[in-house]
Amino acid sequence: MAIAKQEGNFRTQEFILNMGPQHPSTHGVYRAILTLDGEYVVDLENVIGYLHRGIEKLAESRTYTQFIPYTDRMDYLAGMLNNWGYVMTVEKALGLEIPERAEYIRIIVGELQRIASHLVMVASMALDMNGYTAWMYAFYDREKILDLFEMICGSRLTTSFMRVGGVPNDIPEGFLPKLEEFLKEFPKRLDDFDNVITGNEIFIKRTKGIAPIDGETALDYGLTGPNLRASGVNFDLRKVRPYSIYDRFDFEVPVGTNGDNFDRYNMRMLEMRQSLRIIRQAVDNLPEGSIMAKVPKVLRIPAGETYGHIEGAKGILGFYLVSDGGTKPYRIHVHAPSFVNLGIYPYMAKGTMLQDAIASLASIDIVLGEVDR
Amino acid sequence: MDNIFINIAGWIRDFIAGFGLSEGLVYLAMVLVKFVAVLVFVLLNVVFLVYMERRVAGFFQERLGPNRVGPQGIFQLVMDILKLLSKEDIVPAGADKLVYKTAAYVIFVPTMLVYMVIPFGKGMNVIDLNMGLFYILAVSSLTTLIIFMAGWGSRNKYSLIGGMRAVAQMVSYEIPFVFSFLGVIMLTGSLKLSTIVEAQQDVWFIVLQPIAFIIFLIAGNAEINRGPFDLPEGEQELVAGYHTEYTAGRFAMFYMAEYANLLAMAAIGTTVFLGGWHGPWLPGWLWFFIKMYILVFGQMWVRWTFPRIRIDHMMHFNWKVLLPISLANILVTGIGIKAYEMLRTMGWW
Amino acid sequence: MFGEGLLKGLGVTIKHFFAPKITEQYPEVKPKLPPLVKSRFRLNREKCIACGICANACPNKVITVNSEKDENNKKRLTGYEMNLQYCLFCGLCVESCPTKAIEIDQDFELAAYTRENTKMDMYKEALTNPPGTAAKEDKGGKDA
Repeated sequence: MAIAKQEGNFRTQEFILNMGPQHPSTHGVYRAILTLDGEYVVDLENVIGYLHRGIEKLAESRTYTQFIPYTDRMDYLAGMLNNWGYVMTVEKALGLEIPERAEYIRIIVGELQRIASHLVMVASMALDMNGYTAWMYAFYDREKILDLFEMICGSRLTTSFMRVGGVPNDIPEGFLPKLEEFLKEFPKRLDDFDNVITGNEIFIKRTKGIAPIDGETALDYGLTGPNLRASGVNFDLRKVRPYSIYDRFDFEVPVGTNGDNFDRYNMRMLEMRQSLRIIRQAVDNLPEGSIMAKVPKVLRIPAGETYGHIEGAKGILGFYLVSDGGTKPYRIHVHAPSFVNLGIYPYMAKGTMLQDAIASLASIDIVLGEVDR
Repeated sequence: MDNIFINIAGWIRDFIAGFGLSEGLVYLAMVLVKFVAVLVFVLLNVVFLVYMERRVAGFFQERLGPNRVGPQGIFQLVMDILKLLSKEDIVPAGADKLVYKTAAYVIFVPTMLVYMVIPFGKGMNVIDLNMGLFYILAVSSLTTLIIFMAGWGSRNKYSLIGGMRAVAQMVSYEIPFVFSFLGVIMLTGSLKLSTIVEAQQDVWFIVLQPIAFIIFLIAGNAEINRGPFDLPEGEQELVAGYHTEYTAGRFAMFYMAEYANLLAMAAIGTTVFLGGWHGPWLPGWLWFFIKMYILVFGQMWVRWTFPRIRIDHMMHFNWKVLLPISLANILVTGIGIKAYEMLRTMGWW
Repeated sequence: MFGEGLLKGLGVTIKHFFAPKITEQYPEVKPKLPPLVKSRFRLNREKCIACGICANACPNKVITVNSEKDENNKKRLTGYEMNLQYCLFCGLCVESCPTKAIEIDQDFELAAYTRENTKMDMYKEALTNPPGTAAKEDKGGKDA
């Protein structure tokens, strides 16, 4: 952390730069008030709320099923995982058992969504360093995943795929061959991406050792997901508190060492390969059977509180559900990983250069739809 | 074929001389005619280059790029410029109007001045200055000032940072850029561009000076703010850098000047390192053209592959890597020339 | 060696330079969307019993069902409107329909110039363009 030194009579004047809400690399409508000393960031202030839609409040006037389409509009890059987190919480409150096949389908689409979300992250990280071509390559692969989603649930981005008690559609004809093709092609494309960006000396030089977060600080700030694991804390809900049927799968959790921008980026690259392994196993062991549990037409959750969480693409995605026994939730609170992760951004940006601060923002992988909700 | 343009120039010259003007006036008129010819050539190339860049970028990214306007989208830039010209021209309220406007009007001047001495073929230059290479280096560094004027006059913090970066970058990279030519100058003993090209009759200087050529490519890339060195307009952090506040026609000027600079850099590289008009079978000017576009393609290839370098890394790279290497290159060249001469005098060569 | 990564990157990009391109020529070549895609909805007037379950299932109150009671005290559909500007395209209405009267369709060209035009009178449309018949022909023409 090298703040420009002010020695002797050579004085520099700090100035304030207002970055956003309209700015090419704020990943949505986010605003940062930067205090700059030349190229160095002296101070940074987060300003959020430009994309606030009151989704938590909306939930109070929707039934439990009706809220599903809203969840994928929070983290719109990982709609499936948001659906999953929500329906899992409701199922937990209802005490529902989910059919095997539905669980496997959930795992497949969930991990595909994780890959898609991580692809956007690595792509935007490359883009924020002007790696346009790598960005396009990653989006090309993401497009393949979205095509798969289109086949299985009829939407690309806002999937609304999961239902309380299972999934609404069974795997359609032609989905599995296409998935196989993707599983075969994607590792090669990842290698290409590695060659263009991960191995690029300019990229390495610009990310290694920039904005490091040690494990303790990461925990203090409440980081979760790949951002936390990059700092060397091995905490993945899929391993630590296996939900759904994750305990049946054999996969590793990549853990970083320095918690710098490169580690955060690399976590995503490694996790994508692990997700591929999970999908591979899930496809191989896919059982036959029903995809929907017996669920009453009108859902009524007994009065009380439930908290359910999953390992989302950006961290722990938790839903806190308060019910008064009616058909609509009394209150829903979302533990949004992006929102929590954004909190550490001023800490990361301080003392780095303007260009690195931009890259740091990309490295914590925020989605403003989730930050503001 | 080889002399087609020279013959045309000759006819025009005869035509003008037919009016019974004095020798000096004919010369002046001819310079003017050639200037206009070069200007048209450059503008046409710029139009094509922007199209080419978008197309090449698309191909690198597995898409098609512009393919709608005209056959294969070739008229895309024509429409873009028409669109830009029809847009509202906004001058920011707090801008230093004189500086702001002047910058846009004169951004093309240094580039055009560079083209004045480039030999596009044998005897195909507007003026064959004795100090051609020196003139190019002197004139092209003027761009720094204009870019800084744009950044300063806009009264925008992004523009200001962009302008400051431009000054820091272009002034520092000027040095290895100049040094990369020194080896060639030592080999030819001349600054005259036509002499430099003539000297490459048998062997191109890229063979004798490979390191200088690489330094030239890197420093040249930095000089014209492209590729991984596009810090002054670093889109991700500075929105558009020094031309953030420019709109409509003035923006088009900056946009086109960027490509005119790119072509100028390729033309200089072709002249100094790639043997200019030399080449078998095809006419000389065509060879020049082909080599120029190969260099341009190389620049685009680099630009669409690498991420942007950080400002302090860029400075370190310049002062700690490029400069020592270019100095060493000069030293090695000097020793090589001396050794060659000694061997020759001893009759071993 | 420093620069190896740079050269590898250049190699990858030039490889992709010559790879086949994926750009879709949209207006000329229409994409063929999978049958589950919910791009718009069509109403089958014969099947609809005007129960209003779809309107209740909708999270955003997009659907308006108008009905009247006929002489046998049976509900009869008189109007069915979807205000598509608020539609989330979640498909909950299709799932909830007890008689499968609402169907999904892959005609995605729904852009309109005014807010009024985003309202879709599916009751009227079902006459001219009922699901299963004209819609399919329409689509077949576009695929070609």
